[in-house]
Amino acid sequence: MRRLFLRRAGLALLLMLAATALTFALVTAAPGNVAALIAERAAGAGADGQMIARIADELGLNDPLPVRYARWLGDALTGDFGISLRTGKPISEEFAERIPVTATLLAGGGILALFYSLSIGLWGAASNGRTTDQLLHGIALVGASTPNFFVAALLVIIFAVGLGWVPSFGLYGWTSWILPCITIALFPGSVLARVVRVNLQEVMARPIATTGFAKGMSRGEVLLREALPNIAIPYITTLGAQFTLMIIGAIVVERVFGLNGIGAFFIEAIRFRDFVGMQAVLTLFVVFFVSVNLLVDLVAMLIDPRLRRARRV
Amino acid sequence: MTSSPCSSIRGFAAPGGSDIQFSKLPWLVLTPALVFVFVGVFAPFLMTHDPAAQDYTAILKSPSLSHWLGTDYLGRDLWSRIVGGARTSLVAMAFVLVAALVIGVVIGSIAGYVGGLVETILISLIDIALALPSLVIALALMGVFLGENFDWLSDYWKMVLALTLAWWANYARMSRAVVIAELQQPYIEAARVMGASHLWVFARHILPHVLGLVVVYASADAGALVLAIATLSFLGLGVAPPTPEWGQMLVDGMSYIEEYPSLVVIPGLALTAVVVSFNLLGEAFALQKVPRVLKGRLLRRKRAARKEEDLARTKAESQA
Repeated sequence: MRRLFLRRAGLALLLMLAATALTFALVTAAPGNVAALIAERAAGAGADGQMIARIADELGLNDPLPVRYARWLGDALTGDFGISLRTGKPISEEFAERIPVTATLLAGGGILALFYSLSIGLWGAASNGRTTDQLLHGIALVGASTPNFFVAALLVIIFAVGLGWVPSFGLYGWTSWILPCITIALFPGSVLARVVRVNLQEVMARPIATTGFAKGMSRGEVLLREALPNIAIPYITTLGAQFTLMIIGAIVVERVFGLNGIGAFFIEAIRFRDFVGMQAVLTLFVVFFVSVNLLVDLVAMLIDPRLRRARRV
Repeated sequence: MTSSPCSSIRGFAAPGGSDIQFSKLPWLVLTPALVFVFVGVFAPFLMTHDPAAQDYTAILKSPSLSHWLGTDYLGRDLWSRIVGGARTSLVAMAFVLVAALVIGVVIGSIAGYVGGLVETILISLIDIALALPSLVIALALMGVFLGENFDWLSDYWKMVLALTLAWWANYARMSRAVVIAELQQPYIEAARVMGASHLWVFARHILPHVLGLVVVYASADAGALVLAIATLSFLGLGVAPPTPEWGQMLVDGMSYIEEYPSLVVIPGLALTAVVVSFNLLGEAFALQKVPRVLKGRLLRRKRAARKEEDLARTKAESQA
C-alpha cells in the first residue's frame, strides 16, 4: 500500500509541475509585452522604448520560456511568487493576508455542508419513498441547481436587508461569516445529500440490510450501523470533489460579500492583467486541488482494503 | 443496480423506486428544458421591447401592461431582457457544448484507439486540464484573452472559446474509457479478422457507443454550463453589458437590492429554473428512466438499417 501511495504522490507532484508549467506558458505569453505593461503602470504615458527595454532586461523577459519557468519555479519553491503588478506588494504578503479569509470560508462552508448533507440524506433515507423523502429530494435538487450568487443575494435580501440580523458586506465580527458560509455550503451540501440518499437506498436493498432487520434491528439502527459505513467511499470521493469546487463558491462569495480573500485577488488580477498574480493564484489552486484529491485517495485506501490493491489506471 | 428478493422488506423500495413517476411521464422531465429551448429560439417573437433600449421616462417601474415584469435602472424592459438572456445563454451553451463534445470525443478516441506514446501525451494533457475546476480555467483564459493579442475577438466569442477550452477534458476522458472498454470486446477482433479497416471498426462499432454515453452526459452538463456562463458574467468576465444576460442582470440589480429586490430575484429565478430543469433531465437519464424514449427510436433506426442491409444482401445473393 505504501508503494502504491508513493506512486500516486509522485504522479501528483508531476501533475503539479506540468500544470504550473502550462499555466506559466499561457499566462506569460498572453499579455503581449509585460515590460511595456509594467513601464506603463510605473511611468504612465511617459514610458519610452528605452525604459521598456531596460525593464525587460532586468526581469530577464528576453530569456527563453523554459529558463524563465525554471527561475520562477525556483523562486516559488522558496515562497517567492514575485510582486503583484496590480498592488505593487509582494504576492507572499498578499497571500499571508488573504489565505486565512478563504481558508475560514472553506472550513466553515465544508463543516456546514457535512452536517447539512448527512442530516438531509439520512432523514430522506429514513422516510424512504414517502412525502418527506420526495420533499427533501426536491430541496436537494433545487439546492444543487441554484447559482451561489443568487443564494447570496436571497440571503442578503432576507437576513441583512429584511431582518437586519447580520451585515451584508465586509467583515464586522463573526456574524459576517454566517451568510458567506451558508452560501458556499448549499451547493456541495445538496450534491452530497443526493449521494447519501441514493447510496443509502442502494445499500438498504442489499442482503446486509435484510440481515440487520432479521436480527431485529430497527430501521434507524440498520441505517446508521449497517448502511452508513457502506456509503463512506462514494461520500468521501464526492466530498473531496465538492470541497475543491468550493473554490468557485469562494470566488463568487468573496465578491458578493466584499471579503478580501484569494478569490477576490484572483478576479482583480484577471481584470487588471496582473499576470504575476494570476500565475501565483493558479499555482495555489493547482496545489490545493491536487493535494485534496491525493488525500481523498489515501483516506479511501485506508477505509477500503479493496482499493489498496494496485489497479492499472 | 441489483435488487434482492427481500428488498421491499419494511417498506424499503428497490433503488430508484420512489422516482417511478419519471418512467410514466418522461415528458414531465423533458418539458422544462424544452420550454427553455423554445424561449431561446423564438426570443425575437416573445420580446415586447428591444432588450437594450433605454427609456429614461420609465426607470425602475413596477410591472404593468406595457412592461410585464417592470423595468430596470436604465428603463429597459425586464421581460424582454429575461427572454433575450435565455437566447444568449442557449446559443452560447449550444456552441460550447457541441465544440467541447467534438474536441473531447476526437482527443479521447485517438488516445484510446491509437494507444502508446500518443495516448500517454494526450492523457497527460487531459489530466492537466482536469487539475483545476473548469470554471477556474475558463476564468484564467478570460484573463489571457483580455491581452492585446486577442483584440480581434469579441467578448462573446472570447467567453465561448474560454469555456470550450475549459470544458472538453471530461468528454475526452469519458470517450477514452468507452473506447478502451469496447476494444476489449470479442466482436471488435472478429471485425478486424474479417478485414475491416481501423476507420470502419471505429466509425461503425465504437463511435456509436462513445456518442451514446457522451450525449447523455452532455444533456446533464448543459445546466452546469448555463451556470458557468452566468457566473462569468456575474464576475464581470463574460458577455459585455448591452447584451441581455442573466448573471449580468443579477449583478446590476445588486446595487438596487434594498429598494428593488425583484431586479435580482427575477433573473435569479429564471437561471435556477433552467438549471433545475437540466439537472432533472440528467437525473432521469442517470436513473435510465427517460432514455427508453430515445432508446426506442435508436432501436427502430437500427432495426430499419438492418432490414435494409438484409434486403440488399438478398438482392445481391439472388443476382449472383
